[in-house]
Amino acid sequence: MEAVMRQEMSSGVFGNYQVPPQFLDEVFNSAGGVNPHYENIYQQFVKFNKEEFKELNEQAKSAFFNQGITFSVYSDKAKGVERIFPFDLFPRIIPAAEWARLEEGIIQRCVALNLFIQDIYSNKHILKDKVVPAELIFSSNNYLKAMLDFKPVGGIFTHISGTDLIKHSDGQYYVLEDNLRCPSGISYVLSNRVAMKRLLFPMFRKLNISLVHQYPQELLATMQSVAPEGVDVPNCVVLTPGVYNSAYFEHVFLAHNMGIPLVEGRDLYVDKNFVYMKTISGPQRVDVVYRRLDDAFLDPLAFKPDSMLGVPGIMAAYREGNVNILNAPGTGFADDKAVYTYVPDIIRYYLNQEPILNNVHTYRCEKDDDFQYVLENMDKLVIKPVDESGGYGILIGNKATKAELQEFKSLITQNRRKYIAQPIMALSMHATFIEEEGRFEPRHVDLRTFTLLGKDRQYVLKGGLSRVALRKGSLIVNSSQGGGSKDTWVMTDDNFQG
Amino acid sequence: MLSRIGNSLFWMGRYIERAEHIARHARVQYASSVDAPLSQKREAVLESILDMATNREGYFNVHSQLNEDDVVRYTAVSETNNFSVLAYISMIRENARGARDSLSIELWEAINSFYHKINAFSTAGFQAEEIEYFARRIEQNSYVIKGYIDNTLLHNAVWMLISLGIHLERATQVILILQTKLKDIEKNNSSKFEEAVDNFQWTTVLRSIEAYDMFMRCKKTTPNKHHVLDFLLFDTAFPKSIAFSLSCVKQFISSIPFPDEEKKKESLEFIAGKLACRFQYTTIDEVEEKASEFLKQTLNTIYEIAGLLDVKYLKYH
Repeated sequence: MEAVMRQEMSSGVFGNYQVPPQFLDEVFNSAGGVNPHYENIYQQFVKFNKEEFKELNEQAKSAFFNQGITFSVYSDKAKGVERIFPFDLFPRIIPAAEWARLEEGIIQRCVALNLFIQDIYSNKHILKDKVVPAELIFSSNNYLKAMLDFKPVGGIFTHISGTDLIKHSDGQYYVLEDNLRCPSGISYVLSNRVAMKRLLFPMFRKLNISLVHQYPQELLATMQSVAPEGVDVPNCVVLTPGVYNSAYFEHVFLAHNMGIPLVEGRDLYVDKNFVYMKTISGPQRVDVVYRRLDDAFLDPLAFKPDSMLGVPGIMAAYREGNVNILNAPGTGFADDKAVYTYVPDIIRYYLNQEPILNNVHTYRCEKDDDFQYVLENMDKLVIKPVDESGGYGILIGNKATKAELQEFKSLITQNRRKYIAQPIMALSMHATFIEEEGRFEPRHVDLRTFTLLGKDRQYVLKGGLSRVALRKGSLIVNSSQGGGSKDTWVMTDDNFQG
Repeated sequence: MLSRIGNSLFWMGRYIERAEHIARHARVQYASSVDAPLSQKREAVLESILDMATNREGYFNVHSQLNEDDVVRYTAVSETNNFSVLAYISMIRENARGARDSLSIELWEAINSFYHKINAFSTAGFQAEEIEYFARRIEQNSYVIKGYIDNTLLHNAVWMLISLGIHLERATQVILILQTKLKDIEKNNSSKFEEAVDNFQWTTVLRSIEAYDMFMRCKKTTPNKHHVLDFLLFDTAFPKSIAFSLSCVKQFISSIPFPDEEKKKESLEFIAGKLACRFQYTTIDEVEEKASEFLKQTLNTIYEIAGLLDVKYLKYH
């Protein structure tokens, strides 16, 4: 019936909406009907005509611009270009039962990966038992010798993780990536929610939606839980590379919302293996550092000697146990895309449980069989470098030209360890307002979730950043590559009739 | 408070006051050249605009001779000048951005929108007459920003550091204006003394500091060196007098929670206190004859205070 109604209301924002036949649409079923958990919100949106909705959309955009919620894109120009992160007003909705299972799976995965890192930097049981090949770890640029035999407070290495999920056409969630270094995007989740509440307040009264605004307090509590031993009232700080970093807005946002100082490397110094910040009232000791800075820049004495962003001597202070650093240095080898393929085995090994979340099947080019398969089936695969992020350096086989395929073939052959390949996953689609068309069209989405591990505490944000590939047919959702975002509503119960 | 934040706040205050004074001085000088008695040459006005903003050397690096449009453009908006009013506005915003977390939203927005408005000002065909409009915008916005500083911030260390910057800079700018004028008058004297010119010069000084009507109300006499210096140096009730600014400097330095210093004689509080007291307990008769020397000494002590502030508390890298 709804399908008929949509066609009749072709002047509305859902006019001529085509449910994609080969993909899963989150909002509509294949017959064109509205999925039950979207019924309520759909009834609200369908009432807008094009002009009303355009105006609402403009309001949302200017609200973001005035608040300065922008990011810079790295380009060949000296100064980065500032852009608003495009934001879609139609939320993605996840039913309570579906989320409960997801959350369980995310925690399982993050806990196992943390144990994996701990093991690798101490006894290396998993390597000795040949579950994960040793050369895979030792060949990673992100494996840090400086972390050997060091156990951080509470045994936690990955305090903040960002697990990227997609929903495949089989209706199942798959993990696409684990981000165990400095996952970003949380500020957009919280700002999106604030904007949604302002613009669409009545809808929040009709639906039972999980809150997200407590994330900064949870993060602060996580930081405090892993303070160095003997520190009762830890001085926690956020360490940023500075105003020119693309995620600077987020650094300010988090520091502000936690009520703790936002510091740069030049504000800190190390004296007798203790870290201090320079204040107008003299030095003040720093106990916990949430750093938004890559390992390589953290300490010029330990890593990159020409880094101007870091704090000389902080690694020594860290190893003495006088300061804690979140996330621990050296976690990057574990979110390497080549290690990704072993995560199900890692979960079984440490937790003795079956993995709850699915892994996408991955071909490792360094293995001869897989390498051969990849070369022969490039047009059916997504090929990724293992150690880059942000959607750079990716080849999508069925979209690539012959020349590009040829180029990648030689790239892979030259450096097999660097590349993995996965079947092209059918990311689910979601009704998204397309400005140029003035109406909703289906676009591919993924979901970044945020997990916090502290000493004896675990937290998964009930929601996340649904990233949308705004270009028609595109599968790449990264903000630097033309992606947008949606607010993500996790229902507190599945009583859809409200 | 982080030293880096303290540094940003202090310099934000200084640049606000500096931009305002340079803009107003250029505007008043330029306008005065219209009313000037014959012997008051146009070149002298242009030179004094450059001198007051310590732009003379920079100007002659890019221009071979004094030209009205060039001098005003160089002082106000030129991109080749790192010390133009426009450049100071950018620095105000940069410093505010660095310390944004300590400011109120209202203050930040006032600074940010001011910056955007002023940047939209076309610099290419900027003509000398436009200084009137340009400088008035700067002066008005400066008061708007200072209004937000005084009325939307907690009057804690954040506010005190900004205010310290404002008052330290205000004393500096008033001294620079007076030094420039004393030099102008000296040059004039060597040619031929005229009372009308003298009177005109001191009236211009008062107007450059927005002090003319308050001066008249206080002194009820024609502006001359004796009375103007007395008013601008020592009147403790006038918020632009050096005595007033230095008393604020002393008060803020002792209220900001800087750590205690070991040696009293070298402490910031001691030096600032001594300077403020000197202005409180000196009369114009003691310093009128050697006014230039007295101003120079004062300026050096102010620079010493700023230097100590930087080295002891605001340095961070």
